[in-house]
Amino acid sequence: MRSVFALSLVLVALAVFGPMLAPHDPTAINIPNRLSSPSEQWPLGTDALGRDILSRLLYGARWSLGLAFLISVIGLSIGTLVGLAAAQGGKLADWALMRTTDTFLAFPELVAAVVIAGLLGAGTGSLIFALGITSWMRYARVARGVGLSLKNRGFVIQAKLAGLSPLAIARSHYVPALVPSLIVVWTGMFARAILGISALGFLGFGVQPPMPEWGTMLLDARIHMRSTPLQMIWPGLSVAACVLAINLCGDALRDSLVDRQS
Amino acid sequence: MTFAILGLVLRAAVVVTGAALLTFVLLWNAPGDPAMAIAQARYNFVVPTEVLEQVRAESGLDAGFWAAFKDWIGPLLVGDFGRSSVTGREVWPDLVTAIGYTVPLALMGLAIGLAIALPLAALAARNPGSVLDRVCVALASVGVAIPQYWLGLLLILLFAVHLGWLPAMGARSTANLVLPALTLGLGVAASLTRIIRSGILEARNQSFLPAIRRRGVSPSSIERDHVAPHAAIPVVTVLGLELAFLLEGVVVVEVIFGRPGLGGFLVTAIGARDFPKVQAVVLLTALLFVIINLLIDIFYQVLDPRIGEHDA
Repeated sequence: MRSVFALSLVLVALAVFGPMLAPHDPTAINIPNRLSSPSEQWPLGTDALGRDILSRLLYGARWSLGLAFLISVIGLSIGTLVGLAAAQGGKLADWALMRTTDTFLAFPELVAAVVIAGLLGAGTGSLIFALGITSWMRYARVARGVGLSLKNRGFVIQAKLAGLSPLAIARSHYVPALVPSLIVVWTGMFARAILGISALGFLGFGVQPPMPEWGTMLLDARIHMRSTPLQMIWPGLSVAACVLAINLCGDALRDSLVDRQS
Repeated sequence: MTFAILGLVLRAAVVVTGAALLTFVLLWNAPGDPAMAIAQARYNFVVPTEVLEQVRAESGLDAGFWAAFKDWIGPLLVGDFGRSSVTGREVWPDLVTAIGYTVPLALMGLAIGLAIALPLAALAARNPGSVLDRVCVALASVGVAIPQYWLGLLLILLFAVHLGWLPAMGARSTANLVLPALTLGLGVAASLTRIIRSGILEARNQSFLPAIRRRGVSPSSIERDHVAPHAAIPVVTVLGLELAFLLEGVVVVEVIFGRPGLGGFLVTAIGARDFPKVQAVVLLTALLFVIINLLIDIFYQVLDPRIGEHDA
């Protein structure tokens, strides 16, 4: 388990400090050196415009992990609010909010994200909106479940009768119950967001060139599959490594947080 | 129980209505002038204002939101998906052709996924914690992390470019189905393996099993009559989620392999801002998804009547 967290820390460090380690400018075009094989100067070779692939990968980590973090936090916030509102509000509010959640769940997330991002026009803003608006539903269900189970528990009612402010009740009873379950959902959604960002990038609806994003890099590399197949390996490998590390973290967290609770 | 099932159907109807409204809201609010997009797609030159107005009027784009919604939903209720705003052709026949390419792909993908996941999960669950079990779980974890489009490209690289065994692009023959179906199937297998494995482990943990065993019932009949049916419940649940996975996978996989199925249809329609086509695909997807989940919920109620009682 420790090794899993260590690996994730390394990835986060790469995303944060990667640009400092990058040997070249990720957007610097160098046509005479296009599609060159790995060498001392270009450790992983160059792409079709002669840009250094290693530098692009390192900068790309920032796009993938940073945007995925942002998107998963957006989903977490919307979902928790909706779920708690459903649990605390009356029967009608609960019904309306949960049917809204079901309605959003009726669309496969990535298909919906492709449609939204595509219609809004390619770009980082629409990417964030498209993936954020399609990723809050699981949090809502979990938050509602926790909220409902706490609502009528003795200690919560007693706290209310004792005159504790809603804020104090939230802090001492709701947060400790919500955090473990939500964190586990969050790691899963974080990994999904990374996959979503690169999938949209690959379809041409995501982060736009010349920004180095892994899915977009793969889209570029695909054309030169025959001549420089290695170019295609790196971006995909980066996505897979990040998703694997986050998923393993999620498994470890679930084992230690949620199972202990139940 | 009839009452419970009726409730489920009613709920599904509400969700479908909501989905239709949501789809329409999304397209109605999409930025850019759809009339301009249509006119440019049709006439391909700088469009004069009068032509633009004419296009706007004939596409019903000049009416208000609710009027346009009614114009869309009315014919839809009798199965009329309208006409493509770009080509003027009816959407439905083109959609059927696309579905004809997607359904075999999705089914093959699911079949390959199950064919890999079931034996792998059974093998892993035979001796939990063993090396074999850990290898199976690790394989599944890695499989889940690999993006579908990358897997597809790697398969093309290996089997089409390097070995030259299989065609990569198009949909001319059955051979064209192999690589895309394998791409989908490996993804499905990865996500199913762990769930089936834990389903089997949980089923083996049922409290009455030792009692039956002591009564002398053979291990094979315990597996068949008591473990397998119990393990089936989570698998059925997950099949609903798998459907989402398949639909998402189909979009990228079809684009990579150049198959003219629903995914390609959708991406092309989005690019051309062909709203009736986009609406049709999105709504159809949602409808399919809701119906499958409804069937799963009903199946659940039949399989285990306790489930509906404490669920809201």
